[in-house]
Amino acid sequence: MSIYGEKLDRYKLVGQPTKRLDGEDKVTGRAVYAGDVYLKDMVYGGCKRITEYPAQVKKVNIDKALAIPGVLHIYTCFDAPKKQSWADYHYLTDEVKYCGDVVAIVAATTKELVKEAIEAISVDYELTEGVYTITDALKEDAPIIRKKGVGLKDGVPTEGTKGNIFYDSYFPIRKGDVEQGFKEADVILEREYRVPYIEQAYIEPEACVVYSDAKDGFLTAEASAQNPFFTRRYMADASSLPMKDCRLVQRTLGGSFGGKEEGVGCQVGRAVMLHLALKRPVKMVNTREESMMDSSKRHPFIINYKIGVKKDGSIVALEGTLVDNCGAYNNQTQFMNWRASVHSGGVYEIPNVKTDTYGVYTNNVHSGAMRGYSSPQVIFAEEQLLNEVALELNMDPVELRKKNVLKKGGTTITGQVLTEEVILPEMIEHLLEKANYYKVKAEYEEFNALNKGIKKGISLVTCYRGAGLGAEGADASGAFIQALEDGTFIINTGLAENGQGLQTAFAQIAAEGLGAKMEDVRFYGTDTHAIPDGGMTVASRGTTMGAQSMKTAGIELGVMLKETAAEKLGTTVDKVLNKDSVFTNIETKETVTMADVCVSRLWGGDQMAVYSWHKPKPLPFDHHTGQGKIAFPAYTFNCCIAEVEIDTETGYVDVTKVTSGIDCGTVINPDTVRGQMYGGIAMGQGYGVSEELEVHKGKLGNPNFDSYIFPTSMDMSIMDLVLFESETKEGTYGAKSVGEPATEAVGAAIAGAVSHGLQRPIRTLPCDLERVLLGKSLRPGGDL
Amino acid sequence: MGRFIYERPGTIEECLKSLKEPGVKKLIAGGTDILVELRAGKEPELEYLLDVSQIKELKGITEAGNKISIKPGTTHSAIGKSALVKEGLKILAEASDTVGSPQIRNAGTLGGSIVTASPASDPTPALIVANGIVTLQSADRGTRHVLIEDFLTKPYKTSMEKDEMLVDITVDNLKEYKMAFVKLGRRKALAIARMNVAVALKLDGEGKVTDARIVPGSAFPVAKRIKAAEDMLLNRIPTEELIEEASNQVAVEMIKVTGIRWSTEYKEPVIKALVKRALKKALEVK
Repeated sequence: MSIYGEKLDRYKLVGQPTKRLDGEDKVTGRAVYAGDVYLKDMVYGGCKRITEYPAQVKKVNIDKALAIPGVLHIYTCFDAPKKQSWADYHYLTDEVKYCGDVVAIVAATTKELVKEAIEAISVDYELTEGVYTITDALKEDAPIIRKKGVGLKDGVPTEGTKGNIFYDSYFPIRKGDVEQGFKEADVILEREYRVPYIEQAYIEPEACVVYSDAKDGFLTAEASAQNPFFTRRYMADASSLPMKDCRLVQRTLGGSFGGKEEGVGCQVGRAVMLHLALKRPVKMVNTREESMMDSSKRHPFIINYKIGVKKDGSIVALEGTLVDNCGAYNNQTQFMNWRASVHSGGVYEIPNVKTDTYGVYTNNVHSGAMRGYSSPQVIFAEEQLLNEVALELNMDPVELRKKNVLKKGGTTITGQVLTEEVILPEMIEHLLEKANYYKVKAEYEEFNALNKGIKKGISLVTCYRGAGLGAEGADASGAFIQALEDGTFIINTGLAENGQGLQTAFAQIAAEGLGAKMEDVRFYGTDTHAIPDGGMTVASRGTTMGAQSMKTAGIELGVMLKETAAEKLGTTVDKVLNKDSVFTNIETKETVTMADVCVSRLWGGDQMAVYSWHKPKPLPFDHHTGQGKIAFPAYTFNCCIAEVEIDTETGYVDVTKVTSGIDCGTVINPDTVRGQMYGGIAMGQGYGVSEELEVHKGKLGNPNFDSYIFPTSMDMSIMDLVLFESETKEGTYGAKSVGEPATEAVGAAIAGAVSHGLQRPIRTLPCDLERVLLGKSLRPGGDL
Repeated sequence: MGRFIYERPGTIEECLKSLKEPGVKKLIAGGTDILVELRAGKEPELEYLLDVSQIKELKGITEAGNKISIKPGTTHSAIGKSALVKEGLKILAEASDTVGSPQIRNAGTLGGSIVTASPASDPTPALIVANGIVTLQSADRGTRHVLIEDFLTKPYKTSMEKDEMLVDITVDNLKEYKMAFVKLGRRKALAIARMNVAVALKLDGEGKVTDARIVPGSAFPVAKRIKAAEDMLLNRIPTEELIEEASNQVAVEMIKVTGIRWSTEYKEPVIKALVKRALKKALEVK
């Protein structure tokens, strides 16, 4: 283990803080977001939704709307060229399953006219019976929401039965013999935990402009798409055009966190249909309310655990049922729940494990990707469970964790032996010292004994996260670098800058191999006509896995440039040092510049560009037992300490300090890592104390940011970060995932601190005013 | 958002003249409430929007004898910064500083906040504590003065007539009082008050309360002084027990008015705690 900064001499650029490539444009307002794109003859599009659901639409009356001057086109769910998308979601539908379903789309010359037209459309429909909560969806007599749903048999989802379970999202873990394990246990606890819907809450709502470029006839969309190639699939689908005629250009993204995937895809699909009908550019921009209805949410879970421990704290058996609410449509839960199942036992060595993870369909807003992809939920539940075990054993909760955490050579609950360095035990010690944990804890306990109104709490959480996609999918990617005659470079990849700092990290990784200066590298933002599909920018895979090909491309092109430099310097390649865009003969100290080398290569007819592809080795994994040699090639270990002050007279929780340490493998750029960690703590703080999308009978109770409460800068705690480094053969230059680890432990740590301060278990999130004071929410929402 | 005519009168007189003419009209000053309402479609009948933000006579804070006159177009941030307000009614400055965010405070006005009549208004309890009086003017009937406590009739409703506009807010200068404002929100900024309380106490040489004013916000349909609790404090030394008693009385009064509602389970203990906290803060005791 090392702390960032101790091993800076390994690389030229990797590990250095550098100026963020997209930073200046963003802070000066020069960056162009999709909503900022204006084209000649551009018109606006919008969606008609109904306010009651589920419902069967009988008729959509559009005559009044069409009569409004300036209203140009309306498609209804009965005459649109395409209704269901290639994925599970619908562009338009007459079977309205949830609040986001669209029954008509409108194009008009102004935004105001679009709104008027939408109001002028009336819809005749019949209401049908709905199901909203996990508990109701699992009832035997529940109405069936989706034909493909299955039921439970002997407590597990079973094909051939009828019900609301999304079978593809079912993942069992079977390790050892839990019955035997529980027999060996001295203490057995059974507990239920619940976590709510969470909105990504990016500042920029989804937006796109769709047009045809007269020059080449391309169907082009400029969109706020997290995954450009994924969104192109919707373009080709909605237009019935071959993919060669569909071009998706990603505009600067104002945040995504998993939210700008299917929602943006459907939005672009609708704009494509209106554009093809009118042959004029069509812009669609969601209002905040539309964004909240339309975009996916972090899954709510009900998690039941049964844990068996020995008196000394060692965990001998864990049984769990983790059920999440998918909403009406889903293209994510079947991937996400695998991750949930792999991590369902926390970062602990447990010999006997039996967990079942599955999702249920309801008439709620659909769940999908939201920074963490199941981990904030699962970590909250299993870490509170551990706190409860510690209380039961009268054991220090940190000691309990230290006793059970995975170490090098340990076996995960999926049967993977950790062969690489596992720095978690050292991380815990370092963080305990950094936060002065035991002293602070003793002080807080003394304070609490003397004070009635205010209580203070502190808690440590440990967890780990499989880096990248792992056995969930092929974690492959491609990268392209071209050298220009003046010694500068353009790099391009199928992965996308989503605000996480990908441009900067990729430029650094490319420049490392090229021996170029950072400022001589430009990142070409994602354009699907300019680079092959390199998979999605998800799962915190961008730098750790997605940049593998960028590293190779940089090194390959770097070698070619070195060859030319060696020729010019009258020496051999091994005598040439490439750094800061200068080649030096290490013997004579003679130099040539990158520009000299590039211009020679150009006029000499030498190769000036490299495209590289990286496909990692296959990971054999048995999805029936949840066992395999390798679920993920590498794991990011994580430790987080939160401190809170609880006002027991009002229920207000003030998060006072968060100490967060992440095993980054290799830090590529410390500034972007810190940026991720600060942002992750902010999101985790929201998860811990205030955020909850109130869904009641399918309706959103707080569909805007005046009532969906996430922390402001005024609310942020003191944040103390530790960037740990460790040895790993996997990952680009040894980098591990950071984006999601940065947030996944924070909510759990805050809940633990509240639990410590109040001396009572916390089994639901968020720890908001009413839950803390009364132990329950008073708001009508909160259907899980 | 419907279609309406936008007008920008340059003076109070011009504005009053326009208000007298037929048509459904609303004034806009900072716009922090009305724009939200318009977007939500809450003013479907609106025909004219009169922008009063450029009327100079509607801005400013002046001393008027033992009172302070605040023109309704004065922004929350101007009130928060005013030395006069800080000296004579610091709870109004403090309350103004908790409204929304810097952007909202720079745009939103005190007059707008009063006329919107939200039960969760931050400045309103402080105004009522200071026996705030609004001056309403119309083209035909001149001016009239109304206690803010009476002006607010129901949540989001006032006794303002269609042809009237708010031209002045006058509050007592409470320099001699001990006072405090306490707000509970779900976060530290951009928070609508879950509940708030403004209190002011005047003590004699022996430490007995000679005047008490207690106004909770977001607890009653309209903010008002809680006389039953205030009276308990009069002519007595505010001991821990007395403060507790008066605070409990506020909760009793709240339930008398609102009955037991879904939120009472939370609001009852918390209003007690907040009033107690405000009184202690005013008296500078722990």
